[in-house]
Amino acid sequence: MRYAFWPGCVSKGACPELYTSMVRVAPELGIELEELYDGNCTGAGVISEHSMETADALNARNFALAQRLGLPLINICSTCQGVQSLAQQRLRKNPQLAARVNEALADEGLQYDAEKGLEVKNFLWVLVEDLGLEKLRSMVKKPLTGLKAGPFYGCYILRPESVLGFDEHPDRDHYLEYVIEAVGATVVNYEGQDKCCGFPIMTINKKNSLSMAASHLSEAQSEGADCLVTPCPLCHLNLDAQQPDAVRYATVNGLEVPILHLPQLIGLALGIDAAELRLNRHVVSTRKVLARL
Amino acid sequence: MAVYEHDVLIIGAGLAGMRAGLAAQAEGADVAIISKVHPLRSHSAAAQGGINAALGEDDSCDTHAFDTVKGSDYLGDQDAIEILTGEAPGDIVDLERMGVTFNRREDGRLAQRPFGGAGFPRTHFVADITGQVILHVVWEQVVKAGARVYEEWYAISLIVADGTCRGVVAMELRTGQLHAVLAKAVVMATGGLGQVYHPSTNGLICTGDGIALAYRAGATLMDMEFVQFHPTTLHNGILITEGARGEGAYLLNSEGERFMNRYAPERGELAARDVVSRSEQTEIDEGRGVNGFVLLDLRHLGRERILERLPQIYELALDIANVDATQEPIPVRPGMHYFMGGIKTDVDGRCWDEDGRWQGLRGLFAAGECACVSVHGANRLGGNSLLETVVFGRRAGRAAALHAAAASASPVAVEPALAGAKEQLQNLLDRPQGSEIMAGLRRELGVLMKTHVGLFRSGDGLSQAVGGLPELKRRYEKVAVGDKGKIFNTSLIAALELGILLDLAEAIATCALSRTESRGAHSRRDFPKRDDESWLKHTLVSFSADGPKLSHLPVTMTRWQPQERAY
Amino acid sequence: MEVKLKVKRFDPESPEVKGRYQEYSVDMPENATVLESLIQARDYEDESLALRCSCRSSICGSCAMRINGRARLACKTQVRNLTKEGGEEIVVEPPGNMPVIKDLVVDMSSFWDKVLAVKPWLQPSGPPPEREYLVPNEAMAALTEVMNCIMCGACVSDCTVLEVDPTFLGPAALAKAWRFVGDPRDAEDLPRLRELSEASGMWDCTRCNMCVQVCPKDVKPMDQILKLRAEATHAGITGNAGSRHTIAFTEIVEHSGRLDEFRLPILTHGKLNLVGQVSDLPVALRMLRSGKMPSPFHKPIGGVKHIKRIFRRFAGKKPSEGSH
Repeated sequence: MRYAFWPGCVSKGACPELYTSMVRVAPELGIELEELYDGNCTGAGVISEHSMETADALNARNFALAQRLGLPLINICSTCQGVQSLAQQRLRKNPQLAARVNEALADEGLQYDAEKGLEVKNFLWVLVEDLGLEKLRSMVKKPLTGLKAGPFYGCYILRPESVLGFDEHPDRDHYLEYVIEAVGATVVNYEGQDKCCGFPIMTINKKNSLSMAASHLSEAQSEGADCLVTPCPLCHLNLDAQQPDAVRYATVNGLEVPILHLPQLIGLALGIDAAELRLNRHVVSTRKVLARL
Repeated sequence: MAVYEHDVLIIGAGLAGMRAGLAAQAEGADVAIISKVHPLRSHSAAAQGGINAALGEDDSCDTHAFDTVKGSDYLGDQDAIEILTGEAPGDIVDLERMGVTFNRREDGRLAQRPFGGAGFPRTHFVADITGQVILHVVWEQVVKAGARVYEEWYAISLIVADGTCRGVVAMELRTGQLHAVLAKAVVMATGGLGQVYHPSTNGLICTGDGIALAYRAGATLMDMEFVQFHPTTLHNGILITEGARGEGAYLLNSEGERFMNRYAPERGELAARDVVSRSEQTEIDEGRGVNGFVLLDLRHLGRERILERLPQIYELALDIANVDATQEPIPVRPGMHYFMGGIKTDVDGRCWDEDGRWQGLRGLFAAGECACVSVHGANRLGGNSLLETVVFGRRAGRAAALHAAAASASPVAVEPALAGAKEQLQNLLDRPQGSEIMAGLRRELGVLMKTHVGLFRSGDGLSQAVGGLPELKRRYEKVAVGDKGKIFNTSLIAALELGILLDLAEAIATCALSRTESRGAHSRRDFPKRDDESWLKHTLVSFSADGPKLSHLPVTMTRWQPQERAY
Repeated sequence: MEVKLKVKRFDPESPEVKGRYQEYSVDMPENATVLESLIQARDYEDESLALRCSCRSSICGSCAMRINGRARLACKTQVRNLTKEGGEEIVVEPPGNMPVIKDLVVDMSSFWDKVLAVKPWLQPSGPPPEREYLVPNEAMAALTEVMNCIMCGACVSDCTVLEVDPTFLGPAALAKAWRFVGDPRDAEDLPRLRELSEASGMWDCTRCNMCVQVCPKDVKPMDQILKLRAEATHAGITGNAGSRHTIAFTEIVEHSGRLDEFRLPILTHGKLNLVGQVSDLPVALRMLRSGKMPSPFHKPIGGVKHIKRIFRRFAGKKPSEGSH
């Protein structure tokens, strides 16, 4: 299975442990990654606030790069997924926009065929739809029995459903749970698992942002979760790096919930060493998780 | 229990009520509006297709007036119709300036679409959500003007002192408390009574409350026998706008024939509603229906036009009938939709006649569907109902404000009215739970009315209805209220509404039995022809302890003599 | 078809009883809606069940409620679309983020107050035209999404920010505000945008798409909020962290092709905002300790000149000027 790979900005900046664990884990699953070294930021929904069409064009550039390689595009960030899916839909529905975008890309010798489209999938979807849960289960060397993991999806991989292919794949909002079970761990469901971590408003309204994170973390901990697993590094930042500040809004005492990146969960189940997966590079220590295994 | 006082009290916060409120405030009156639901939940929001006015360059108010007179099967009062059509252009422009986002022509001017019974396209529209948008915009203006709205207050009875309407006793749903709201002029704007029928396009709140309250307090009702059946409703009664046919949709029978070309060679699908409904029912009765429906075919309009001009009905067909209108025709059939009759008013909304030609209630005004001026006569044209609410809502509001300004502020003893209402409610609450189920009885009434006082009537059927109602009323006396709480007791409201529906059904059936001709929406198999010699007159009905008392009023004709009505 | 409902009850005359659910089982036709099922349960099993409803055709907005955990219009939700195998219980609860009066009826005062707070009426300027305002159909069509709003409250019910902060203006009020900013006949764009850029306004939305997901009329409230943001930023109303964040993010990507997470928070606070910068120190230190500090030396991508060209071509138009 080969994919063009846009790692996103954050996995090479504030969440380097995500990038490292992904490139370590992918080959073990038979996934070949062709990184788009000249790829660009998707805009993360922020550039859309400035100019939706600029965001469309930026995303079209990444799509064109992937199409040039003739490969589907994989990402390791819920936000990249959501932004890219929306951009694809907009470009497909509006041929005039697509034409204007291609005019700009032509200067670089690039073209995005909006009609043909491009398969853009988050690692989570690749695991369930392309690799398959059966295959994943068979590859598990170290079942994570005893580990109670709560899913945290990240808004942009769940909503709006009309943009994210839910018609064809109606249970994409349960994939994390399937994967957690496939690697032998126990799923801990809680209401906040499909809500917002608060990352986008961290610099605008810190209190609200931390309250949102604290609410979901507290709930998960009350339900008995040892950790959360997320396919989004922005969620990871708000839930992990900001957790010490979120504690003051927590509704449980002694809030301590380590947050795993999805590739790290998979890596542990494949028997890869925790240090290689950079599990020692989290703000909230993952020792609780490792102790369970 | 509190007593509130205002200059003008408006009962009902739909389009007519809120437009009246704005007009009254503009005259400097202290206005209050009471509504049993939040204003934006009013059924005006369900009007889909559009609002008429002769604004097109080649159109004229005269043509609009004649179309309306003909549409009314010559029962409409022509002075009122001339006012409706003459003032329409000004009112539409007013709405636009308030902010309504009407569709536009290429030149940026207001666009019009064709509608049933109209000789010229004059229906202004906002996609197919015209009523919703106008309702919201008028509400915005009411909010801006700061009018007092008593939200979720249910009017129980009118307060009448010295033969004058002076206010209302209402129950505040939130607390269950009874209050008296006094005013020097009261405007009734409570809308239609579709829930007398099952099924109906009307919302569950359309129980004709104001019509019954006025009736019981001594006002006269007019033309109660004229009930409009809309040609295109879904299986559960929900409306599919005439705008679909305005955009070019076809009506087909089981043989794929555009059968309206037979019944209405000139206007086809866009004949007047009563003509289309009867044609459809005839097709169905004669075996050319499809499972009891005919087919409304939009496919040839193309997906883009459907989604641009008719997005709401596309969704409704999908959600309710599981039909994708771009791929299949929509099964539709005639359904009870609008009530031409109502509280008799003059052209300024007054529910009394200074010259005593008909019995009324001084101090009471009415506008909108609950009123009968009459502009619609025996059948209403599509697009004229929204128009009526703004034109006559405005006129009634202004007249009410002027009346209030000139009225003397004589004190009113509210205790008897409050005590009476309290007793009425307590009686209902105290009834023991028997075998009679409120909703079941209401359903029976609705089916009785649809069957015997429906699209096609006969002397036998009407007699059955008139004869069957006393039994239903007797059973109503046994109905118990399942919720004994004080706060938000919807069961108690439902019980009051059922009593209202029964009173109104009685008036409708009695008037229908008395009219021995067919005219507009009143179609009798035993009297299939229009009889101008005997029946070119309105039916009036007033309340009495011995049952509805009938009388008549001549039709006001200014310019047009009755002709044969063909489309 | 058997429909099993599990309805959350609340009796205001016994307020101490919390968290009570009552089960109903009703026999309904195959294409029954949740509303029809609730009405059947109320009318034939339990007349004390309180709910708001009227039109049954998704236009009056009365029947918004949480069905299986998500806000929906009960009249628009067919039972068979909710239950995979049929016969499963449907959980019905009042809308969220608003106090419950009784059963499924909530107090919507805060909802209406916030809508009123954005001055939801057209404010044209100057004398009225001789007849109607002349506006292109595209301008009216562009407002279609937001004119579809029936004020049902589903978006507010499930808004994730309102869950933690009841002072947030919320998706319905903000979408309604765009309706006026986007209407060429309204002349008060700048004062509106200025007010909406203040605390608890447009910049407090966390962009989670929950309102877009639950809206039964496809109003896409969050999209309208994004238009407000873009319009405000273009109009120079940038004296707030939200706007500074967007501008900084955009400029960074324009000049290097990818995000520089080291500089972004600094620019968002404002370079001279020492208090703001200092407030970030604790998290910065934590990141440093964990080896997660992004490098202050940010390299542009190879094709950065192409990125700059894209920006030059597209980043000019305001949302109110057309396709956004």
